[in-house]
Amino acid sequence: MSAKQYKTVGEEAWKNNVEKVNAELFIFTYGSLVVQLVKDYEDYTAVNKQLDKMGYNIGVRLIDDVLARTGLEKCADFHSTAEVISKVGFKVFLNITPSVQNWSSDGKEFSLIIDDNPLNDFCELPPRAVQDGLWYSNVFCGVIRGALEMMQMQTEVYFVRDVLHGADVSEIRVKLVKVLDEEVPANDE
Amino acid sequence: MVLVYNLYIFDRHCQCIYYTEWNRPVSPLTADIASVRTRAKEVARVNQGRSSDDNGAASASDSRRPLVWPTAPVSSSNAKDKSIASVQNVAMEEEAKLVYGVVLSTRNIINKFNGKDGPQGGNPGGFMSFATNTYRLHYYEAPTGVKFILNTDTATTSMQPVLEMIYRNIYVEYVVKNPLFHIDPHVSVPIENDYFRAVLNNYIREISASSTTTA
Repeated sequence: MSAKQYKTVGEEAWKNNVEKVNAELFIFTYGSLVVQLVKDYEDYTAVNKQLDKMGYNIGVRLIDDVLARTGLEKCADFHSTAEVISKVGFKVFLNITPSVQNWSSDGKEFSLIIDDNPLNDFCELPPRAVQDGLWYSNVFCGVIRGALEMMQMQTEVYFVRDVLHGADVSEIRVKLVKVLDEEVPANDE
Repeated sequence: MVLVYNLYIFDRHCQCIYYTEWNRPVSPLTADIASVRTRAKEVARVNQGRSSDDNGAASASDSRRPLVWPTAPVSSSNAKDKSIASVQNVAMEEEAKLVYGVVLSTRNIINKFNGKDGPQGGNPGGFMSFATNTYRLHYYEAPTGVKFILNTDTATTSMQPVLEMIYRNIYVEYVVKNPLFHIDPHVSVPIENDYFRAVLNNYIREISASSTTTA
């Protein structure tokens, strides 16, 4: 399937198959979640980690939901995986389509460029948080990592830059570590 | 008329996380339950007048609801019940392993014939069903590696839409989206959601009753 077809799939799913919630409610809920984590952990690195973990647990479930909604098959290569993440994944759940850019030469790393992250609305980070490197939307990284792991791809996903840190766009780097083998039953004879 | 015998669901760790049966003539679960019932009746006859017979109520509800496995461990204090349950468990475990082995090997050989085999598995060869002279086994594998295996009578040729429907609208809806179902991606957890059971059961009953045979 080409990138264009994925776009149609994502748009169709967004239009017909998604129950929407109020965006502001969602954004504020997420914001208060992060604030609570900051209060609890008192350390921005730990908050990043926790957000990633929460995202991971979301991702491992969300992938089944995406597949059930869209009926997509397994991707043939990592390039189409990138297209699906941006044009179907982000589209269906957040109604944004980050652009896929900066492919590494071996085709195992790419960046998702988000210029309109809805979670950033109404959000301003205190200087301390920027300085200590809080990735406010780090939950995305976990979601992508979790979802890809269920598709047998072990990945590293991390924020490179963020609008909230003063960059002009947000960038998430996705790196394919390895493709996991299917599990086989333990031989118990 | 579709006659559905039983359904297995295997997760990505090769574990049977759900099994249920409807019209299965011989089963490791019913075989022992039948003997339990006859034994229970004998006991009841002996003890008549001394204890109220609550076995009757239990077996009545059994016959209405299809059997499922794995179930929560029996809380009965009766040692005999417990040992029977564990015998059933072992028998079911053996069966589930065999079924998984057969299906996986069949899928792999089909993938191989298509030149699409690889360590990542999946079902690129398009294994859908096989039949013997007494039943037909239908196979569906979700892209995340969850496998659904449904046995029906031989006349039913295509259950792919049904299995897909079970995955998309029942499994995802009531298992994956259930916050109480603890998905740890590295551990197998049996499905013990009553709502899932009920919806699945209704759906199967619905397609069993529909007179249009999918040809």
